[in-house]
Amino acid sequence: MADGEKRQGGIDRRTLLIGGGAGIGLVVAYAVWPRQYSSNLTAAKGETVFGAWIKIADNGEVTIAVPQAELGQGVYTALPQIAADEMGADWRTVAVQPAPLNALYANAMAAGILFRDALGDLPQGLQQSHAERTALMLTAGSTSVRAFEGELRRAGAGVRALLCKAAARRWGVDWRSCGTADGFVVHGEDRLRFAELAEAAANEDLPSDVALRQAGSERLSGTSVPRLDTPAKVDGSANFAGDIRLPGMMFAAIRQGPVGDTRLIAANREAADAIAGVRHVVTNPRWVAAVANNWWAANRALDAIAPRFETRGAIVDSDSIDAALGTALDGEGQRIAKAGDLAQIFSGADIVAAQYEVGLALHAAIEPMTATAHLEGGRLSLWLPTQAPGLARAAAAEVAGLAEDSVTVHTMLAGGSFGAKLETLAAQQAALLAKEVGKPIQLTWSRSEDCLHDRYRPAARARLSARLAKNGEIAGWLTKIAAPSVGHELTRRLLGGDPAASLSLSLPGKGVGDPQAVQGAQPIYAIPNYAVDHHPAEIGVPVGEWRSGAHSYSCFFTESFIDELAHVAGIEAHSFRISMLGGQPRLARCLSTVASLGGWQGGVPGSGQGIACHAFRDSYIAVLAEAGLSAGKVKVARLVAAVDCGRQINPDLVRQQVEGGLVFGMAAAIGCSTGFTENLADARGFRDLDLPRLADMPEITIELIASDADPGGVGEIAVPPVAPAIANALQAATGVRYRRLPLLSRMQDSE
Amino acid sequence: MTRFTVNNQPVAYDMDPETPLLWALRDASNLTGTKYGCGTGECGACTVDIDGKAVRSCQVTIGAIEGTFVTTIEGLSRDRSHPVQQALIASNVSQCGYCIPGIVMAASALLREKHDPGETEIAEAISNLCRCGIYPRLTDAIRRAARIARGDERVEPPPRPGTDESGAARSVPAMRAGQREDVDKAD
Repeated sequence: MADGEKRQGGIDRRTLLIGGGAGIGLVVAYAVWPRQYSSNLTAAKGETVFGAWIKIADNGEVTIAVPQAELGQGVYTALPQIAADEMGADWRTVAVQPAPLNALYANAMAAGILFRDALGDLPQGLQQSHAERTALMLTAGSTSVRAFEGELRRAGAGVRALLCKAAARRWGVDWRSCGTADGFVVHGEDRLRFAELAEAAANEDLPSDVALRQAGSERLSGTSVPRLDTPAKVDGSANFAGDIRLPGMMFAAIRQGPVGDTRLIAANREAADAIAGVRHVVTNPRWVAAVANNWWAANRALDAIAPRFETRGAIVDSDSIDAALGTALDGEGQRIAKAGDLAQIFSGADIVAAQYEVGLALHAAIEPMTATAHLEGGRLSLWLPTQAPGLARAAAAEVAGLAEDSVTVHTMLAGGSFGAKLETLAAQQAALLAKEVGKPIQLTWSRSEDCLHDRYRPAARARLSARLAKNGEIAGWLTKIAAPSVGHELTRRLLGGDPAASLSLSLPGKGVGDPQAVQGAQPIYAIPNYAVDHHPAEIGVPVGEWRSGAHSYSCFFTESFIDELAHVAGIEAHSFRISMLGGQPRLARCLSTVASLGGWQGGVPGSGQGIACHAFRDSYIAVLAEAGLSAGKVKVARLVAAVDCGRQINPDLVRQQVEGGLVFGMAAAIGCSTGFTENLADARGFRDLDLPRLADMPEITIELIASDADPGGVGEIAVPPVAPAIANALQAATGVRYRRLPLLSRMQDSE
Repeated sequence: MTRFTVNNQPVAYDMDPETPLLWALRDASNLTGTKYGCGTGECGACTVDIDGKAVRSCQVTIGAIEGTFVTTIEGLSRDRSHPVQQALIASNVSQCGYCIPGIVMAASALLREKHDPGETEIAEAISNLCRCGIYPRLTDAIRRAARIARGDERVEPPPRPGTDESGAARSVPAMRAGQREDVDKAD
């Protein structure tokens, strides 16, 4: 978003960081920091390590280290596939292991997305070195392939060259005349297994100019090779963090106080003694935990203990959240993006306006928050489902009073995350419990704790207004969004002590707004005059990252309003969009594809069809929905999606992500939300979330548009456009415009 | 009393008889393939087979199932060869995988009763929750499992657990047998 915005106060944050003032210490610190980091990837018996990414065993196994967490998105397959492709490995020999914490695996791209106002605007070099210095490993923002494809290709190509050199030396030929295929180095009729060459290859010098493979047949990249994690997932042998079993380990359940300034005032510890298997009760100002030889007993003990908490300050409930959003929307905002001269265009003109709302959204992964901790001899080991192992390590080390390098994080498969497992609270609690009890502890939050203490996708309210020109084009557009400053909150909570982040957030010229809270609100349509304002709202509920972040509501606002404008202009909603997408051929193509594939009838009354589109993370999508009301519920009959996400490493993984994204978006359109009463979420379990099941599935059709563009993100792309497509479909089905998510919640507010 | 059979092994749990089966399996037997998702019977991640029926193991106490035969995901097949497992692999169904054991157990119980279940029967039998969104390919995968069970379709067999080096080398030319044993002897 517009660089010019940052210069409003006369001070350019970028200049400041580089040039002097508060920034100079920071710059010097970066300048002297080592730029070369050495790998801490360890070899098992018989393995040869090649840099930070690849190991080859003498039996032929090729192991790829993957820094990204496997949350279900298939990253334990896609990233190894990239390296194996360049190597020329046989897919059946490829294995994966979670990469250890190391600066070499830092993900500056994800950091720029997740902590955007603090880090996203640093010059790219500084962003990279900051991420490296803090070993900021992150799985977020649909970045895994985008951030690591280049490095994995170079690593794979480098190992290919080394293997070729080793083979060429044995054969007495030029290494450039050798190639690789199916795990062999090949030269004419000669073939040698990688397995037989690995040790010698490690002693060869890496050529300075290793060429990447050119397009052609025999490539692994671009094919739907089977997922490496599948076999273990169908027979129950895949281990999640809650499946860790350690000698002497105890199981812990926890009950935390309501949101806000809360402290424990009473707990009947003795009552826990009556529960068989309970061994310890641990209290903390903010929570009570029970420790037992099985988790059910521990959780039952908490019922018996019946902890009471006192909460100071204002009561948080659904009304106070509403009021906070209303006050913020009517109050001061900060212009985050703009083009042209909106004031002049709006002056004295007929303006079309509408107001939209979204409620809090839960992550509701089936795997609740969990962590296993073992403290022994001053060293803490943690087994975590985590999207941010370095941040979890720092957070746990701090509460346990240990140095960070005394803490080891074992990144486990996550049983769904959607942003929830960026959070480090469960790791801290498990570390404290292990310290207090003196035994290995496995902490698992109950489902109701998971609902009550989620870091929710923010609630938000928006006022959109536009002026239509005589020809029906949009002459001016204004989006004002009241929402919590989710990026600032994430930065403070997760990067807490990070000097660069806090410095950056406190720089002069820094506004009250948070670009992250209005991500995706900048219209992609050719609108000559527009503005996007953020109105920060203090809703009193902790908020966090959630699959697609603010795009999930900004797209609902924009694509609902576009539909309303098309109606006002008397133009069919598909052509209305296409006419403003001359500069966005990829998105226009998605729209055309979805219209023809889905049999778009023009959104006429009674058709029950709606469309929406969105572009972010370098990918493009259009969705057509067919929906109606049935017995007072939203019934989605059909979803059709056309996606252009650039080159696809593994098309079936992409398809899985799009399918899953559509279902996730549909869940959030219909439910997956909570109100609040007296500082407690109303939702206490899945029964309160109205999540779709197999019987609720619409017919789903997906077209992946072939493209040679660099890969775009796919993990989140399908989520945002689903809700507006369904809302637009409901309008066509019922004549009523639904302006709130979840749809049909508080129906009285809808028209 | 809390005596019954789990995966063909007789067991007696020295736990409160009110303990839900889920926690006896997970925390006493270390059969961790059966997952906890909600404890209230809504998500189905803890589904096991009790005397041929798919049951949410968080909803039955160990005291109430005296004498029954319980099968968990670990006991369903020795080598991922159950038709449901084969079909889920072949259709690339799983994402995060947390809900999968429960779905496999629910589907295997369904196929024992219905040899050719229709879409509605599948949707009724598989009421499990999945947040990754595997549903769009699940119905077809279960119908495929039914075809495999009936012998009407064959799919590439899934990789077997515990394949040793020489076994791997026989089917994959890039693998080399005998390395591990040699290394061990050298020690």
